[in-house]
Amino acid sequence: MLEIKNLHAKVEGEDIEILKGVNLKVNAGEIHAIMGPNGSGKSTLSKVVSGHPEYEVTDGEILFEGEDITEMDADERAHLGLFLAFQYPVEVPGITNKTLLREAYNTIARANDREELDPLEFEDYLVSKLDVIEMKDEFLNRSINTGFSGGEKKKNEIFQMAVLDPKLSFLDETDSGLDIDALKIVSDGVNKIANDEKAIVLITHYQRLLNYIKPDFVHVMMNGKIIKSGDIALAEELEANGYDQLQKELMLNGEAQ
Amino acid sequence: MSEVLAKDTILSYIGSEIESKASSVSIRAINERGREAVEKTAFPTKKDEDWRFINLKSITKNSFVSVNDAGVKDAGDISGHYLPEALNTRLVFVNGVYNETLSSVDGLPKGVIVGNLSEYADHETVKEYLGTITNYEDDVFAPFNDAVFSDGTFIYVPEETTVEAPIHILNVFTDAEKPFFATPRLLFVGEMYSKATIIEEHIGLSNNAYLNVPVTEFKLFSGAHVHHARIQRDSKTASHVSRPIAMLDGHAEYHSYTICLGAKLFRNDPRVIQNAEEVDFTVDGLVLIDGEQIADTHSIMDHRFAHGRSHQLHKCVINDEAHSIFNGKIFVAKDAQKIDSFQENRNLLLSDDGKVNTKPQLEIFADDVLCSHGATIGQLSDEEVFYLHSRGLTEQKSRELLVYAFALESVESMEVESVEKLLLDEVIKYTTRD
Ligand SMILES: Nc1ncnc2c1ncn2[C@@H]1O[C@H](COP(=O)(O)OP(=O)(O)OP(=O)(O)O)[C@@H](O)[C@H]1O
Ligand SMILES: [Mg+2]
Repeated sequence: MLEIKNLHAKVEGEDIEILKGVNLKVNAGEIHAIMGPNGSGKSTLSKVVSGHPEYEVTDGEILFEGEDITEMDADERAHLGLFLAFQYPVEVPGITNKTLLREAYNTIARANDREELDPLEFEDYLVSKLDVIEMKDEFLNRSINTGFSGGEKKKNEIFQMAVLDPKLSFLDETDSGLDIDALKIVSDGVNKIANDEKAIVLITHYQRLLNYIKPDFVHVMMNGKIIKSGDIALAEELEANGYDQLQKELMLNGEAQ
Repeated sequence: MSEVLAKDTILSYIGSEIESKASSVSIRAINERGREAVEKTAFPTKKDEDWRFINLKSITKNSFVSVNDAGVKDAGDISGHYLPEALNTRLVFVNGVYNETLSSVDGLPKGVIVGNLSEYADHETVKEYLGTITNYEDDVFAPFNDAVFSDGTFIYVPEETTVEAPIHILNVFTDAEKPFFATPRLLFVGEMYSKATIIEEHIGLSNNAYLNVPVTEFKLFSGAHVHHARIQRDSKTASHVSRPIAMLDGHAEYHSYTICLGAKLFRNDPRVIQNAEEVDFTVDGLVLIDGEQIADTHSIMDHRFAHGRSHQLHKCVINDEAHSIFNGKIFVAKDAQKIDSFQENRNLLLSDDGKVNTKPQLEIFADDVLCSHGATIGQLSDEEVFYLHSRGLTEQKSRELLVYAFALESVESMEVESVEKLLLDEVIKYTTRD
């Protein structure tokens, strides 16, 4: 579904290279987890994949269902079925969740020759998705993330994901800022959304999330690259020994510099 | 004081005789007083502090004649501009001249007057208040209006009377062969515990240059409540210089909202004067300009007595080479304790060539007050744009939605549904142009 090949990216207009040759392949039905220390480039990877204009791809390519999307606008990527749950969702005063989601849902529907929903139909559809994440309906009419608590913002990202029904979602540290109850609710929600035709990439620092959403693959990102991939055991190893230990091992094996 | 030469007064941009056309003695007296002031007052230049940033070319490069000399065209059918809520509470002025046929005031409660000033010139209340609330100081525009007006709006609301329907004062300006001047005038007197909503609209029906110089005077007795919306949709080549002023007695509430969409040059000097303890007032504004439009607001919130609450949110969106200027003064006199006053000017710049000058000012002589003011100039946030964009909206649509959201707050204060709707349409037109 998603294939990232030797991806290099820098900050637009500056000489700061952040991604230094990322390779990643995600198939339908899979759940991947990316872990890695602060500043290793995890969020940048998710933003580059979703088409953030702040970054420029200098080498490599991103393929989505075989199509090269490296130069595509963010909205077109969303139309193809890509979704990013932001690490830091912005507050957008004056635009309600409902307004954004209706506009987004219908734009995506149009782009895919699917039927648009009129306001009443959309309202029903929206309300039906509230359960996924145990969200109160008053959030629908509130300005996007405005005045939301940290946890509510993260839940709102997953709610948007449930409504827009993407094929591939990057969830960037959706677990941080959630208390244990919210973590369970959000994980439950993600598990309900996940199926054989969809893929999910979780970015996280904590193995705890992976107790609730079981990844098929775990990757470790350091200094702009994925330096090791494995299964859930890799996450457990990291939790026990930390990144330093991993880096040392890799150096001994001559796998990283 | 040195002599002011005629060529340095407003008269040098006026191509007609300035003569009183009023039939009543009281209005003629105001005309006379205005004329004397006009002849003695120099037209502003950039050397005057209050006119430093504004380019007055759209007035000074013209010669405006009276409506009678301008070869004005017919208004045509303007019923599309009528408000459904105000079908029988509407006065219409065409180029500043009262039009009885298009007006309808059958829907008023007993004792309420909404009519042409020149017909009510001998009414006790008109004689007592007309022209007394306005301040000349060094101004040339208020005296200019004084010098030439004869028609205008008179609104009188008796004690403990509520006018449920909004009162719609519709000023339309037609096409003409020559640039002309017009001086719409409004006197509102609300007796104790009266209540009314006034929608004052200025609409350019064509794209011609004219000089619109309205003066509005509001006198609110104790406990009177007024909601005053001013919607400026003048022609994009017109100049509009207004002088709205309100004088409030104790426990009065005056909430005004000025929406600026039209005119090449818009200068607005709203002034609210607290004339007794315990008042509540609003001087909000929304400015949406593009092209080469200039919108300049110089407001004064004048707290002369204790216990007042006032609020000013002035929002501007500036595109292309448009220029927005804001100078808001909050005055608090020495004994005016316990004033709670808030002022904010927020500017959203959509282009590299747009300009903003902003200067909120506090002049406070009392020591126990709560006054805050601030100004911001910003662009759309890239992160907000990307957030919407990444959800599938085009970048253009994302920007439109954010501008719309910025403007929305001001529109929602309108209270009259059809006016809200009309303004939302205007906002959409502004954000989705070309
Ligand atoms: N626009 C930018 N300008 C300059 N530096 C940037 C920019 N964006 C990212 N960086 C830098 O790139 C590096 C990677 O950042 P990124 O946010 O991708 O890290 P991360 O792995 O998500 O970290 P964290 O775990 O703290 O969220 C950091 O050093 C960051 O400061
Ligand atoms: Mg990050």
